[in-house]
Amino acid sequence: MAPAETGPSISAVVAAVLGLLCLLNTGQCDEQVPLLMWTSEGVSVPHQSSPVAGHIIGQQQLAFYLEKALDIGPRNVVLFFQDKLSIEDFTLYGGVFGNKQDSVFPNLEGALRAASSPLVLPSVAWPASSAVIGQLQDQLDTSPLYMDPETLSQLRLNASSPALLVFRLPYSIGADLLSAKEVLSGNDEVIGQVLSIMKSQSVPYTAIYTGLRPSRESVSLSTETVPGGGRSLLQARGGYREREREQERQRKMNERAGIYAPVEFKKEDRTCLLLWAKSLSVSILRSGRWEDHDLTSSTFGEGAQLQLHGSACDKDKGRLVLNYENVLGHRSFKLIFAMSQRLHKVSARRWFTLDSVQLEYDGIKATFNGSRSIYAPAEYSYRCESVTNFRWPLLIPRSSKDPSNQWRVSFEDFQIQGFNVTGSDFSYASDCSGFFSPGIWMGLMTSLLLVLVLTYGLHMIMQLCTMDRFDDPKGPAISVPQTE
Amino acid sequence: MLLECMMNGHAILYTGVVLAFWSTILVVGICYTIFDLGFRFDVAWFLTETSPFMWANLGIGLAISLSVVGAAWGIYVTGSSIIGGGVKAPRIKTKNLVSIIFCEAVAIYGIIMAIVISNMAEQFSGTTPETIGARNYQAGYSMFGAGLTVGFSNLFCGICVGIVGSGAALADAQNASLFVKILIVEIFGSAIGLFGVIVAILQTSKVKMGD
Repeated sequence: MAPAETGPSISAVVAAVLGLLCLLNTGQCDEQVPLLMWTSEGVSVPHQSSPVAGHIIGQQQLAFYLEKALDIGPRNVVLFFQDKLSIEDFTLYGGVFGNKQDSVFPNLEGALRAASSPLVLPSVAWPASSAVIGQLQDQLDTSPLYMDPETLSQLRLNASSPALLVFRLPYSIGADLLSAKEVLSGNDEVIGQVLSIMKSQSVPYTAIYTGLRPSRESVSLSTETVPGGGRSLLQARGGYREREREQERQRKMNERAGIYAPVEFKKEDRTCLLLWAKSLSVSILRSGRWEDHDLTSSTFGEGAQLQLHGSACDKDKGRLVLNYENVLGHRSFKLIFAMSQRLHKVSARRWFTLDSVQLEYDGIKATFNGSRSIYAPAEYSYRCESVTNFRWPLLIPRSSKDPSNQWRVSFEDFQIQGFNVTGSDFSYASDCSGFFSPGIWMGLMTSLLLVLVLTYGLHMIMQLCTMDRFDDPKGPAISVPQTE
Repeated sequence: MLLECMMNGHAILYTGVVLAFWSTILVVGICYTIFDLGFRFDVAWFLTETSPFMWANLGIGLAISLSVVGAAWGIYVTGSSIIGGGVKAPRIKTKNLVSIIFCEAVAIYGIIMAIVISNMAEQFSGTTPETIGARNYQAGYSMFGAGLTVGFSNLFCGICVGIVGSGAALADAQNASLFVKILIVEIFGSAIGLFGVIVAILQTSKVKMGD
């Protein structure tokens, strides 16, 4: 039974894009991921020179290292690819301060010690490290197999044919450091299991342990100023500034990772309907309390497997149906966007409107009308920072008795297009907020009125002149007698 | 010389204001055209998004201020003539105060209408065009229209009565029998201010602002 490929593979193109992103976000280019490589017991490979301390390995150099290792060493590669990894994880949890009993990497350390010449690259530049699968794929000329220990035990490996086995290891983003320790300990157990299975199969292998992205900002290369000037090497961890900065880093990385494609509905291979939002959430009022459910991760991004059954698109009408399961206790839950376009004679233009947003669950339909405020010319897409039914509402419940009165729907940074879609990108976005807000217009009108009044006043004052009919410059000066 | 005095300052002021206004319009129009954003020019949006309170209060303000401008203009024209004529013919000063009173009446129309209109302004609790409701919009626009009506009628009425009164004072100074006949002209002039008040009352008769 051959294990199936699961999960996406990061190609070199994505790495290049990430590298470009890294370049554009200057100041964040100093992120590295460590990489450990060793061979199985009993296999001797010539020692590769470790990099100079502080040197950051780029993509080319990493390729060179891998090539050299795979030319001579075994061509069965076991890659442990952790979601996040930094050198600080080893410092914190590796028991390096004389407390070896607290280390969470016993299996890893044992393997490194048993290997003949392990290679440790402490700083591989971040976009390069995420491309390591692609590089290995190129060099071994085989596609990666995503596995876990159970599937590995069923696989029969051959020493002569190359194989690339990838084990994805998680890294949770827990707010407290304890959960990271547990996760790393669990990952080390997985490493131990895999290595023992490989040993039982007596196939020589090359093992690599690295991360997809760094788990935290590099301490030594931080250029952020601190009052008092610089950081001391023995500065205690867990200070409030440290925590703040870490949270900032996590947030930025998550945000950057939140660049995803819009929801696309294709009809006959042509994209017809497009929807994007930064966040999407629904809430229901149950027994006096609002219960929320965030649908962003199940709608957008690579991990979401969104079904669009029931969607349809036409020249004049479009209907986008998002199907979910297990939302707020309802087994099947649908979010339906109904759009239509028509020619309006007065403006001599085709406009499209989002007629309704409907929630369908357990046979109940909760409908919100959106045609009053959500409209745009038919050639363009509609975009709004906040589309909700409770905060500056653009969605109105259909009637006062409609079930939608118990629901709250909120879209952040919402963009939708139902007609005239070319390619798979949005057209120009007609924003819901114009250049001048109503308040600005009112202020301008009143100011204009006051300026007119001022103009008129100035006109009157400037036409006052001193009376000079009886002026006689050559005559005697006026004298006003003091006495009668 | 008086004309010269007017030309320089006025020329600068009016040229400046007109230039600013038209260049703004031109630049905005060009931007709308070249970016194909003509669809964003929406008069209906402007009328429904601006608050009815703004319109109502502009109406109230215009009612009193334009009426007062008319009255003031009239009084200053008449007053100067009466005072000037009274130097040589002191008998005119008492009789011609009637002209001043006609001008003042225009200001009184203005303040009465302003008070009447301001009593109609009530609070309402809507924030969007649907929740504000047609009645509140009608109220806002009616109050603005009424204020404009009474303001402009009284403005021109006041000017008219003022100039006629000035003529009356000077004619009276020459020949005492002319005054009574000229007073009839003034009465006709004053009636037009009253027309403005009546129409404004009609405009605001159906106003009902509030929830």
